[in-house]
Amino acid sequence: MALSILICDDSSFARKQMARAVPAELDAEISYACNGEEALQAIEEGKGELLFLDLTMPVLDGFETLKVIRKNDINTMVIVVSGDIQPEAYQEVMANGALDFIKKPASKDKIREVLTKFGIL
Amino acid sequence: MQDEVKFSIDEEQRDCYQEISNVAMGQAADLLARLLKVKVILPIPQVNLIEVNELRMALTGVHKDDSVSGVCQGFIGDGIAGEALLIFNDTSFSDISRLLNYQEAEVHSHELEFLMDIANILVGAFLHGFGEQLDVGFMQGHPSVLGQHVNLSELIQPNHYRWSKTLAVEISYQIDGYNINCDLLLLFTEDSIPVLNNKINYLLED
Repeated sequence: MALSILICDDSSFARKQMARAVPAELDAEISYACNGEEALQAIEEGKGELLFLDLTMPVLDGFETLKVIRKNDINTMVIVVSGDIQPEAYQEVMANGALDFIKKPASKDKIREVLTKFGIL
Repeated sequence: MQDEVKFSIDEEQRDCYQEISNVAMGQAADLLARLLKVKVILPIPQVNLIEVNELRMALTGVHKDDSVSGVCQGFIGDGIAGEALLIFNDTSFSDISRLLNYQEAEVHSHELEFLMDIANILVGAFLHGFGEQLDVGFMQGHPSVLGQHVNLSELIQPNHYRWSKTLAVEISYQIDGYNINCDLLLLFTEDSIPVLNNKINYLLED
């Protein structure tokens, strides 16, 4: 069965860029969300076994979204994809249950590397 | 009519400019964070096509009556040119001295040096990140003082610019735990807009 991937980013360009970077050999069904709130809704609908999550977003940002996922024990694997590459941001998302952190712009090679590391690919 | 299209940006392009600025801003903030050992709070960058005489109104991070200090720095590369402005709210300086462990008096004598240094770092890193994504190599000039302890209207004088429209990218940086506010403003010349749009369209293509 195809893996449901959710790409959450407020920028349509970033969502597109991310979708392009998902390796073609991965049997995946990609959905999109523009902020954390939409992402949580989509996960509930079964669209986010794997979540690529941006940090700086309106409504509900990535940091808060991670906290909600952790607090409610929501079943999804989160990989943060962000332009905020400060050491503090990295530590905070890893402490809040993210599997990994990929700095923007995400490349196909980096995505492949991370997915392989976690046995997804 | 054709000119109007050439010198305009649509929503898709604006989103792309914003995302590219977001990545570049993050790289600049990371450098600053490591250097000053602080956490920089990142905003969502504002991208607007404005008339140069609307510039003062467009600045959201600093208020029109506040006392401010600022430096500017020109840049150029591959048919794209512009000017970067770094504007500090003067209320920031006492916390800057706290951050750098300076005595209050020391800060005043080092204020200009600090402004120039921060401008070099933020502008350099931003342009590098922005250019990398668009495949443009930018060169930056030396920073020069726009004004110290003045209000915004004294700092930004529209007749300083020889172009009328500008593509403005505004980033309001804040430092976590400190009362330090600064605005980084990248102003691209009118003639740069079609060149930039071409590069953006290339990125937007499938």
